[in-house]
Amino acid sequence: MTATDLAEARAVSTPAAAEAPPSAARLLRPFAGSFAAVVVLQVIGAVAGLAPLLAVVELGRTLLSPGPIDHGHVWFVVLAGAAGLLVRLLFTAASAGIGHLVDDQVQLSLRRALAARLGRVPLGWLSRRRTGELAKVVGDDVSAVHPFVAHAPGELVAAFVVPLVSLVYLFTVDWRLTLITLIPVVLAVALVPLMMTPARRREQEEFDAAMGRIANSVVEFVQGIAVVKAFGGAGRAHRRFLTAADDFGRVFFRWVRGLSEVAAGMQLALSPPFVLLVVLIGGTVLITTGGLAAPDLLPFLLLGLGLTAPVAALGHGFDDLQAARRAVGRIRDVLAVPSLPEPVRPASPRGQRVELRDVRFAYESGHEVLRGIDLVLEPGTVTALAGPSGSGKSTVVQLLPRFFDPTHGSVTLGGVDLRELGSRELYRRVSFVFQDTVLLRASVGDNIALSAPNAGLDDVVRAARLANVHERILELPRGYHSVIGEDAVLSGGEAQRISLARALLADAAVLVLDEATAFADPQTEQAVRRTLKALKGERTVLVIAHRLETIADADTVVVLEDGTVAERGSPAELLARGGKFAAFWQSHRRGEFR
Amino acid sequence: MIRMLLRVLGPEYAKPVRRTVALMTITAIAEGLSYALLVPVLRALFGGDPGGAWPWLAAFGGAVAVFAVLRYLSDLSGFRVGTSLLLGMYHRLGDHLARLPIGWYSAARVGEVSVLASRGVLDAMGVAAHLLAPFVSACVTPLTIVAVLLALNWQLGLAALVAAPIVAAIQIWTGRSMAAHDAERHERDHEAAGRVIEYLQAQPVLRAGGRTHERFEMLDDSLREVQRASRRTLLSALPGTVGLTLAVQAMFTVVLVLGTHLALGGHIGVAEVLAILVLAARCADPLLSLSDIGGKLRGARSELARLDAVLRTEPLPEPRDPVEPEGHALEFDAVTFRHGDRVVLDGVSLSVPEGRRLAVVGPSGAGKSTLLRLLARFHDVDAGAVRVGGADVREIETGELMSRIAIVFQDVYLFDGTIEENVRLGRPGASVAEVRAAASAAGLDDVVERLPGGWAANVGEGGALLSGGERQRVSIARALLKDAPIVLLDEVTSALDPVNEAAVHAGIERLLAGRTVVLVAHRLRTVRNADRIVFLEGGRVVEEGGHDELLRRGGRYAEFWRLATTPG
Repeated sequence: MTATDLAEARAVSTPAAAEAPPSAARLLRPFAGSFAAVVVLQVIGAVAGLAPLLAVVELGRTLLSPGPIDHGHVWFVVLAGAAGLLVRLLFTAASAGIGHLVDDQVQLSLRRALAARLGRVPLGWLSRRRTGELAKVVGDDVSAVHPFVAHAPGELVAAFVVPLVSLVYLFTVDWRLTLITLIPVVLAVALVPLMMTPARRREQEEFDAAMGRIANSVVEFVQGIAVVKAFGGAGRAHRRFLTAADDFGRVFFRWVRGLSEVAAGMQLALSPPFVLLVVLIGGTVLITTGGLAAPDLLPFLLLGLGLTAPVAALGHGFDDLQAARRAVGRIRDVLAVPSLPEPVRPASPRGQRVELRDVRFAYESGHEVLRGIDLVLEPGTVTALAGPSGSGKSTVVQLLPRFFDPTHGSVTLGGVDLRELGSRELYRRVSFVFQDTVLLRASVGDNIALSAPNAGLDDVVRAARLANVHERILELPRGYHSVIGEDAVLSGGEAQRISLARALLADAAVLVLDEATAFADPQTEQAVRRTLKALKGERTVLVIAHRLETIADADTVVVLEDGTVAERGSPAELLARGGKFAAFWQSHRRGEFR
Repeated sequence: MIRMLLRVLGPEYAKPVRRTVALMTITAIAEGLSYALLVPVLRALFGGDPGGAWPWLAAFGGAVAVFAVLRYLSDLSGFRVGTSLLLGMYHRLGDHLARLPIGWYSAARVGEVSVLASRGVLDAMGVAAHLLAPFVSACVTPLTIVAVLLALNWQLGLAALVAAPIVAAIQIWTGRSMAAHDAERHERDHEAAGRVIEYLQAQPVLRAGGRTHERFEMLDDSLREVQRASRRTLLSALPGTVGLTLAVQAMFTVVLVLGTHLALGGHIGVAEVLAILVLAARCADPLLSLSDIGGKLRGARSELARLDAVLRTEPLPEPRDPVEPEGHALEFDAVTFRHGDRVVLDGVSLSVPEGRRLAVVGPSGAGKSTLLRLLARFHDVDAGAVRVGGADVREIETGELMSRIAIVFQDVYLFDGTIEENVRLGRPGASVAEVRAAASAAGLDDVVERLPGGWAANVGEGGALLSGGERQRVSIARALLKDAPIVLLDEVTSALDPVNEAAVHAGIERLLAGRTVVLVAHRLRTVRNADRIVFLEGGRVVEEGGHDELLRRGGRYAEFWRLATTPG
């Protein structure tokens, strides 16, 4: 298993090379020279490491040979051995040092490539993923590639080259004893199939499953703890976690138990005492039967142990390599996410009329969230979207900033399909305020200017004023220069007003807004109301409405239900029509909450 | 490390761990001693009497067999102890996490603890199963061999022995210096992770501003910092690794030179010298693996330290003589609560008579939600007292307190299960009919209808397959099913959509009827009918009274009301 898996693991980065985004393999290409240096230095160092052992061999031959001893030769041999050690030290240290430096660079370039890719993937793709998991790919997964880059090339090559060199040398000394010396390696390899029997495989699968269960139950336990405790059911999730833990312990021990005899056999076969025992028995037989000169036993005693290195190397660090391989897989997945296609020849829209024509959309095939929406946003009008949760309101508003492209039909701006607009152009024309506000650890001014990097302070202040947050900003220790998270902690409502200021500063012709944003506090509510009022007639606004007043003040009201437009028209028309909207309106007039 | 492990887990694990370490030590000594038999074997073979080697070889074979058995036993014992330590840690952590106050679980904590409890525990506990045996063997076997060398030839033995304190000193020094660098690296990684998350979350805005990652310097800076920290770690590790190798190789070289000198002078037999050199080579390999093992041990150790920190967090103390609350009146008596350096509540006094409704209004960040959290004892107050039914919540047994309170949170967590299971959490013993009734009352029927699979539909991890409003309804249904005399409602406005809110409001209305209620309101319209309204600002009650009374007073509440109702 090990060898093929390793081969696969090493080849893992190649298939991606054919694809358009920078693949892992292509990212590694600039470092090929450094990798070569790492391997060459490591091989020289490792082979030089044989020198002291060979010196002992030569020493033995000279001292054991009958007749006078050539002192000069003996000291020369000793010197050569010591020199070999020094070479080994210098070269392996250099190799490891370069390997780690390359590793750092590889990690940086992988992270940059990931960041670049994530800066181009469709926003919808991002919105449906957990940022924590993606951050883990950029952080932990790239770090997990470490053994792959820093250790595998040098150490694996050395683990195979040194035994190979030793083997060739030993064959020249005595082929029979060489074969005997290989017995432990053969024994160990012969035991491998026993680790792969169906029973062992099943235990391995059970082990993986139990491991997955424990990870899940721990996440669930921790994340849901507030609910669980509040409802006095702490025992249940707690028990579930402990059951998973006990289960894991049992499966783990059974797995180890099942493997233990075979594993012990393998370890024994590869252990130095056993290898020495085999070599000595073989050597003694060959010496007593007269086939082997006694000094020729020495190289086998010293080099023979090294022959087990490849097998040991495969076992050792195998888990790390497996983990690295999985991490590389995840990195590749992210790098392979296609970006929203940019038009080859971007069209320029005429006017700012927004039109949705027979738009259908499904997050998963077979489950349509939007089922044929036709909608026109006339320039300078406010359109209010209403409807029960799950009716598709959020999906509709997310189509405008192109979080997703519709699966059928089209969204046009100024007569141009959004897909034919360059993304810069699109975001210059469409700005949006949704509920999940993000403030960066940067100055308040920079946070507002994020959507319009070239805006001057005057513009920023004007936007902040309109968003009802200017005075609050002036109260901060360093005003617009206060760094969020360091100088200033803003409340949820204040953060949302900053995000509103951002959208206002962007000065886009089309504003998409989720009114739920407003309910953080009355100031924010007022800011949103003011904004809607101020922009009326100036910009095209699409708002998910939550307040009766917003609906009443809108030019058009669109009631969505189950992914289709149930009713549409001006508020007055809808009231007159006596449909769902009218019924809802009446019920509200009679009494607000309670 | 072991000491830390035992302190974390408790003394009942000390005995098996000690037994295992002893077994591993004996195994390593057996390995070292078995090599001693090489000397007579080689003496016979090189001394021109190859036949004389057989008895010694047989003895060596026996020693190897003993070593094999010991090793098997000690491996097995290592795994057994490792498993029991692992389970012990899971139980210890599980019990402890269940006892920690809910207030401890911030969003960032939840993420950290999830990783720590799954990956971290395995890494830390892998020590006994995977690292201990190689470590003991790498330390003890060479020492045993040195002892054998001393017995054979004191000069050569002494030369080898000199290396021992040097190797030990290098190990300790490297461990110390690396720990500091590892910590710095961890810090940088953490910082970069924060920037990456920020970058991802801010994508829409960044794109609108035309900022790709090349132009988003904050992220690139922190990525480069990670690289620099990693390079510094490497540079600080290099002297240790090189030093260790140098020390071991110098030892071998000295033995080689000295042995050659002694042999040439005829002070020692050639066979002995060759045997000693074979032994010295056996000594060097395990020592060289020490730096590798040391690195892994450090990694495990830092995980263990993090586990230790969590396990040392004190849970809220349980009362020794619990008091039974009488009735369901609620009271805040000069309550002060701090979060870090920030004073969240500053001497708040309030009371809610049984069966009445109190609405809490104020700017966001005023401490409104904290009031609810203190009532449910997610945290303990820093000064003053919170009372339920006349009893200080600290004097009430946690289960007893929780059984009286139903909470509807702002963020609702659903377990990966069916809607029915999630609602049932409110009262696990409830009948199917009761669960259905509560769900209907909370307006869940529509949701159930919409989902493929209906009642048996899975809601996904964290309730991902439901919208915010739908999750909210599940939470209301839970509270309805629980049927507790006290209701704490952290109103979530964003989730309510105007067309459907009537249905949800009817559910909420039912939930509140006839109970003692504290309601945090974000939309002022919903507080009008409360018996009493308090306006909270900067952690203090600045106004208190009925709706009309407060409007007449023309203070902060009236201003809020005006802001909320008059067009901008």
